[in-house]
Amino acid sequence: MVRTGANIVIESLCRNGTETLFGYPGGAVLPIYEELYRNSYRLRHILCAHEQNAVHAADGYARTTGRPGVVIATSGPGAANLVTGIATAGLDSVPLVVITGNVSVPLLGKDSFQELDITSVTRGITKHNFAVNSPCELSRVIDAAFHIALDGRPGPVLIDIPKNVQNESCQEEDESSPLYFTRKRPLPALDALIRMLCESSRPLIYSGGGIISGRAWGELEELANRIDAPVVFSMMGLTAMRSSHPRNGGMCGMHGTALSAELLKKCDLILALGVRFSDRASGNCEKFREGKKIIHIDIDPSEINKNVSADIGITGSLKSVLTELLKTLPRQSRPEWQQFHKSIKLKNVPAEIKTLVPENLFPAVAKYCDEDCVIVTDVGQHQIWTMHYYPFKTPGSLLTSGGLGTMGYGLGAAIGSSVARGGKRTLLFTGDGSFGMSLQELATAVSQKLPLLIIICNNGVLGMVRQWQTMFYDQHYSHTTLNRQTDFPALARAFGAEGKKITTLEELDSALQDLAPDRPTVLDCRLDKDEWALPIIPPGGSIEEMITEKKGI
Amino acid sequence: MEKFTVELTAANSCGVLHHISGVYAKCRINIDALTFAPEAESELAVMQVTSKGNESVRTHLLKLLLKLYDVKSVTLTQPK
Ligand SMILES: Cc1ncc(C[n+]2csc(CCOP(=O)(O)OP(=O)(O)O)c2C)c(N)n1
Ligand SMILES: [Mg+2]
Repeated sequence: MVRTGANIVIESLCRNGTETLFGYPGGAVLPIYEELYRNSYRLRHILCAHEQNAVHAADGYARTTGRPGVVIATSGPGAANLVTGIATAGLDSVPLVVITGNVSVPLLGKDSFQELDITSVTRGITKHNFAVNSPCELSRVIDAAFHIALDGRPGPVLIDIPKNVQNESCQEEDESSPLYFTRKRPLPALDALIRMLCESSRPLIYSGGGIISGRAWGELEELANRIDAPVVFSMMGLTAMRSSHPRNGGMCGMHGTALSAELLKKCDLILALGVRFSDRASGNCEKFREGKKIIHIDIDPSEINKNVSADIGITGSLKSVLTELLKTLPRQSRPEWQQFHKSIKLKNVPAEIKTLVPENLFPAVAKYCDEDCVIVTDVGQHQIWTMHYYPFKTPGSLLTSGGLGTMGYGLGAAIGSSVARGGKRTLLFTGDGSFGMSLQELATAVSQKLPLLIIICNNGVLGMVRQWQTMFYDQHYSHTTLNRQTDFPALARAFGAEGKKITTLEELDSALQDLAPDRPTVLDCRLDKDEWALPIIPPGGSIEEMITEKKGI
Repeated sequence: MEKFTVELTAANSCGVLHHISGVYAKCRINIDALTFAPEAESELAVMQVTSKGNESVRTHLLKLLLKLYDVKSVTLTQPK
């Protein structure tokens, strides 16, 4: 059979299970868009307002479904706009297949109109990228891209397709395969690990994004019960256990809980699962590991001994290693360690106040959201407050930009996640700064009739940066006060969404009681500009230096 | 800092050197010498890359190179 490159793209996407893709058209992808037109009965294309948000949407779709998100953009500016989204997905290990058009092969290298060497631009932020030169490469390159996106540690793969390749035809029997190599690893022996665990008096499980992306939360809970140990989380791993679980020790790291810091100080062994000991999560690595044994299990061999040297390092998928471990790991009991966890947990109960402050805002919103609701955040203080105050109930229900910390991630990701769940309500906590970076995407949420609940934590400032200026730069508020007059509720209405200004808990409560079922609602929640995200460990510091209260300011 | 040489077998395809040198660039390691030759009657190429770095730098670099999908094998040939 003879098919055009553009047709091969569509066939290959469908063959690899794609039902929905996000994108934005342009000259260099017109042949593919023509095929999308013809194939709209089997492939849903969501037209976004900006390519960056289209990648965030594909990312939200992927994190929600566990399948690669697919995004398409034109050459030049379209491709360039993808960069932040691809980098965001890469650092959080999210599988994506990104398709870009390019100018035709004879025009490449000549600074042609809208020519961009996007494979060079994305070399450092993709897991792999392909520059396609012939329609006969396309079918197998796309298969390979889906395979690589999910192989081992997930990540984004980009395919750059010149326009003539989309237009030209290929006979099926002439199709060629790209040359690439994958590595299978045998499951390692676990005897030494079991011995070390059994010898420990105070083991602590440190669980990360690998547990979420490997969907190994069931195994994690069984393991914690089996060895009678508390669990602390990196931001990316936070929802693996419900917030109210008795073994949950909260988030650790720069903005971790005091409870997790106490557990980290006291433990004699850290069993690190699917974490990368990022500087944000571990702070000063030398101090972090002092006096402790470390067992590190991760799917990516380059993570072992990268930031923290491990006494035992094991490479493998969390799901398979933990399943294997649980077959032989003896049940253990550590009543004193349990007692210690319980005693410090009580000390961390927050005080009761009745105003619109972060401690109250997040639980109040949670009351109106289903247990399986997906919660998305942007980046800033509101992101940290979400981690501390939202009562998470469902594993994998939090989407946040942990690795790159991308302001503007939230709205696109919320759209992608809602689409993935058949248009269900998705909750977005954003900041006035972050929302300003992506708000044009309200247009997409409206056109797709998505009932997003968007809570703007509007403090009038770039709160997180301002907080650092307060703490470490003598309150020199250099360009962090927004001084904007944006009327977010009116803006929401201009887009065709609902919008309300909220200044009290009562107003919040009543607004949440009547949410539109078929369009987004924006609640502009006014918070004090001097609220802090606490605790905080100063950059480069250790858990001993944790600041838990706003003092002297 | 010690001199070291890595031998790689990789796909002999457009962009492969960019992927490999990109890993060096990301780790801020300068490439002092580079040889590249196609393997006879195959789609593969063999290259030797010489640079400088201590043991922990080398170990991490080798792991990163092995993650590239167009690289088949990576061996540290010097120091042995
Ligand atoms: C794209 C991008 N630019 C800059 C930053 C640096 N940054 C981190 S948090 C922050 C402030 C965020 O402000 P806002 O969204 O209002 O959240 P708040 O901290 O006030 O809750 C900034 C500027 C970033 N993370 N991402
Ligand atoms: Mg703000």
